[in-house]
Amino acid sequence: MASNAVRAQVAAKWQESFARINRAEPGISGLMSFSHAWSLATAFLKPYDLNDPTPRPRHDMRQVREAFDIINKCRRLPVMLEVFLEDLHKSQHLIAREVEDYMNLYESNSDPETVKALIFRLAEWYSAWKPNAELGQTITSAYTLAFQTHLFSILPASFARGVKALVAATLVRTVSQPSDQQDRPLWQAFDTLSLIERYETLIASVGYEYIEVYVLQTCAGSWEEPMLANLRTWMINKIVPWMVWPFARGATNADEAKTMMQGVGSRFDFHMHKTLCDLRTCEIFDIIVDFPDSSGALQDLKECLQRVDQRAELAQSIRQANKKRLLHPGADTKDILLSYVSTIKCLRIVDPPGVLLFKVADPIRRYLRDRPDAIRCIVASLVGDGESGDSLVDDSEPIQPLQQPEIENYADPEWTPEPIDAGPDFRASKTSDIISTIVSIYDSKDLFIKELQVLLAQRLLAIKDGNFDRERRNIEILKIRFGESALQVCEVMLRDMTDSRRIDQHVQSQQSSVIHPTIISRHFWPALETSSIVMPGQFQDMQEQYAKEFTTFKPDKTLRWLPHLGRVQLELEFDDRTVSADVPPLEAAFIELFSEKDTWTVDELASRVGTVSRSAALKSLATWVDIRVLKEDGEHVFKLLSVAEEAIPGTKTAIKQATDELPPVMSVQQQQAEQMKVYWKFIEGMLTNLGSLPLDRIQTMLRLAPGYDRTIEQLGSFMEAAKREGLATVKDGMWRLGK
Amino acid sequence: MKVHVKHWSAVAQWRWNTGNADQDDEGDVCGICRVPYEGCCPSCKMPGDDCPLIWGECSHIFHMHCLLKWLGTAASKQQCPMDRRPWGAFFSRVLSPTPTPPATT
Repeated sequence: MASNAVRAQVAAKWQESFARINRAEPGISGLMSFSHAWSLATAFLKPYDLNDPTPRPRHDMRQVREAFDIINKCRRLPVMLEVFLEDLHKSQHLIAREVEDYMNLYESNSDPETVKALIFRLAEWYSAWKPNAELGQTITSAYTLAFQTHLFSILPASFARGVKALVAATLVRTVSQPSDQQDRPLWQAFDTLSLIERYETLIASVGYEYIEVYVLQTCAGSWEEPMLANLRTWMINKIVPWMVWPFARGATNADEAKTMMQGVGSRFDFHMHKTLCDLRTCEIFDIIVDFPDSSGALQDLKECLQRVDQRAELAQSIRQANKKRLLHPGADTKDILLSYVSTIKCLRIVDPPGVLLFKVADPIRRYLRDRPDAIRCIVASLVGDGESGDSLVDDSEPIQPLQQPEIENYADPEWTPEPIDAGPDFRASKTSDIISTIVSIYDSKDLFIKELQVLLAQRLLAIKDGNFDRERRNIEILKIRFGESALQVCEVMLRDMTDSRRIDQHVQSQQSSVIHPTIISRHFWPALETSSIVMPGQFQDMQEQYAKEFTTFKPDKTLRWLPHLGRVQLELEFDDRTVSADVPPLEAAFIELFSEKDTWTVDELASRVGTVSRSAALKSLATWVDIRVLKEDGEHVFKLLSVAEEAIPGTKTAIKQATDELPPVMSVQQQQAEQMKVYWKFIEGMLTNLGSLPLDRIQTMLRLAPGYDRTIEQLGSFMEAAKREGLATVKDGMWRLGK
Repeated sequence: MKVHVKHWSAVAQWRWNTGNADQDDEGDVCGICRVPYEGCCPSCKMPGDDCPLIWGECSHIFHMHCLLKWLGTAASKQQCPMDRRPWGAFFSRVLSPTPTPPATT
């Protein structure tokens, strides 16, 4: 049972409420008017169905205002708001239904226009239900919040996709017709529904993607001109007008808009740089190959790298591309060198301090060091190999001495610390000389000098017209690079050439002869292949006569012929024809023998010219067979064709050998192998006496031998070679002689 | 058939006429600088006529520059460094060379 106190309390509350609503009006008239106002207000606010065809009752705004006034006076407005929101909540199924319809349509046709229609429709719903602005800020914001909360809860995931497509469409429209204002209502609808805030990242991503596609389209593969300036203009002319809608709405003047767009604008700008940077990073290998036609791209890359920190990626990309496309056995050494030189030039543009180059160059240098023919290739291009057009060295580059790595001078007031991403063994190199960089691949320049001698010897001995000005010029240039003393030997070789000519002139004036020898100073020329052929017949007479004349001219000297070197121009006189030929001496010797008798066996021929291997003899004879002076008559029997015979169809005519074979100067490797043969005798002796030995013992003992200067690694590979030939075997690191 | 030689660009080495030219292949060395005769003495850069040999009456042969330097020192007492006999250059050897067998081996 309720106590009196409770009853009194309820009565008091009742009285209070009544007093508030009745507002001291007589009787219950206040209550009546409030009730009227309430129903009018709720009816006014109540969300209605836009699709309802029945016309809406028109509200007299004055009455409505009065009604709200009464409610306000009764302090019932918060309740009013609650009721309104409750109503809103109840009516929201109307929107939900429409959203669903539209989105189903969109999913089936994927047309952004559907989404556009939906957004307009939603904006319509929003403004239809929106309470009058006069009712105060509170109710409006409460309404907006409730409406959006609900709206966003019912929008399916595909809506975001639709918005993106729609925004992309607006971007394309703005870009194609800059002054076009047709998207203004759409953006206003976006704004009304606060979609911009919600989908800001999405809208930005549309921008990013568009920029990306554009950059890839315009810049991919076009490296001649710098593209960045054009891209920036494009951004200002095309992207910025579009950006004004989503990112600078409500801006009243240009300055305000600029401030509002600053954040997103710089992000777009960054993205443009990054896209270009990524693109160029991917293309870098081909850019390097194309250099100097690709200098525009390199300029771009340099600028991009200043904005976007992707130096590490760039280095990585070059290293990978090099590894995949360059540093493999299929690539020509010359190509690798050319590419290395291009890399040096390119990265000097992109990164003047050389940190990138240092990171990239290391694998190339290491690879080149292991390539046996790299030195020869470098030397060949140093002296400007005639046959290949593109030399490593730019002729316009000044010739300068090789630069030695210099010790850093900390007292230099211009000194700067190493760049931040420099590795621990990075050495700032001020060298701008490509040749110095290439030569520094190897620890000593002696290798180059040796290889250079070999090359020079080959070329000098191949000279026929006595004109070696080119070689002299090369040597003079190389003297500047490598220093006078290093090229002393080459100097002697060149002087031998001039001396030979002078001596020849003298000898010819005394007694003319068809033989014009190049007289060389041994010890100053690279080892020439030895041979012990003896020239027969008239050739020997010529040699003897010339030697005699020479000794008369230079009483303290004698001549020793190297009969297997040189070339002979012959004319063979037959009964029915004459044949001219320019052949090596051995071939000349053979044909001379055929003037004695018409038929020879190979072995007979070989024994008449001293010692010559059967294969070499056959090879020489093949030349004469090819030009139909000889024919093979039975196995290894050759017969002179005194009368020309037609070639029998079907017999194979061997391809005429290249007449410009280089003289047989031993390469540095051959020389080394030759030397190693001497040491093999020692090794053989050791292993015979001691049974089996480990590699380091062999090395220790060989060091006692005069002139032995191999490393244990070289010895190891030599022993491996011996093993392959069956001369030695190894077991548990102990070497013994093969059976 | 007749073979006419039009032009023969041959290659030959020169040797000093040391009397035993036809047998040595490695070449003798100067007794003072230990450099082969066909090389040049340590103070020269060009071999051959620029750095000639000198033949002694005692049959020893040196680079001329090496020997002159040696003779210039007080310790030499104008003796051949090999056999300590008084040095005398054997010029007739240079002027009228002994006939040597043809060097076409």
